[in-house]
Amino acid sequence: MIPDRLDIAWIMLIGLALATILVPPLVVSRPLFANALLLTFAALKGRRIVLDFLDLRSAPALWRGLVSAWVIIVVLFAWLASAIVALI
Amino acid sequence: MSATDCEQQGTGWGILEDLPGDPMIWVLIFSELAAFGLFLGAFVIARALHPALFAAGQATLDAHLAGINTIVLVTSGWAAARGAAAARAGERVRARGWLFGAMALGALFIAVKLFEYAGEIALGNGLETSPFFTLYFLLTGFHLLHVGLGIVILAVVSWGARPEGVETGTAFWHMVDLLWIVMFPIIYLVHP
Repeated sequence: MIPDRLDIAWIMLIGLALATILVPPLVVSRPLFANALLLTFAALKGRRIVLDFLDLRSAPALWRGLVSAWVIIVVLFAWLASAIVALI
Repeated sequence: MSATDCEQQGTGWGILEDLPGDPMIWVLIFSELAAFGLFLGAFVIARALHPALFAAGQATLDAHLAGINTIVLVTSGWAAARGAAAARAGERVRARGWLFGAMALGALFIAVKLFEYAGEIALGNGLETSPFFTLYFLLTGFHLLHVGLGIVILAVVSWGARPEGVETGTAFWHMVDLLWIVMFPIIYLVHP
């Protein structure tokens, strides 16, 4: 059986979830980098869910952009807040 | 086709009609994303104001169990998406099978989360222990309620397994998945 778009999205999500679990040891030595990595993985997972599972790939750009923007704004806000705390 | 026929075919939802499933579910999805976005924003701000307190609270959480639950929920999302694809292809029995798989994995998510709560409560942590645990239990508890509601919705739409019904139910389920994907690193892993 040849994997289709949904299978590939699922494999990517599992890979990113496993990568997320492996990042925490980095938090102690390089917290800002580790936080950026964790939140980038979250944004990439969110993008896969929006495009392939929610099936917004073929939906108007407005809706695809709105849901994708929600993911990016939330993770960016979390990273910026942690960066500000680290730099103060 | 006359203009009257066109009007009768439209449901009056305008541009929301371009989205998969019933437009009403998208009104709910956008409302939920806004509410959870604000809630997560409040969590992030509270953590920035009390970094030591939030770090101490976060250190007592079981990130491995939450990581396992991430794998459970994205696999459930994949099964739900497969169910929607089968329903669109007119394969109702197959669609029901995939949706039952998605519901079973959703139930497993709830079981793992309740086990995790039991461990946290056994350590003496509760809603009033600290601002961290208040926000933690409210955010994850609110999400857990949505997982339960999502299972009920999937059960209802799997009954007839009609394409639009299944697309409507799975759209809600993927929103629940999306929320967890963002919540997991912010609550469990990001260093304050």
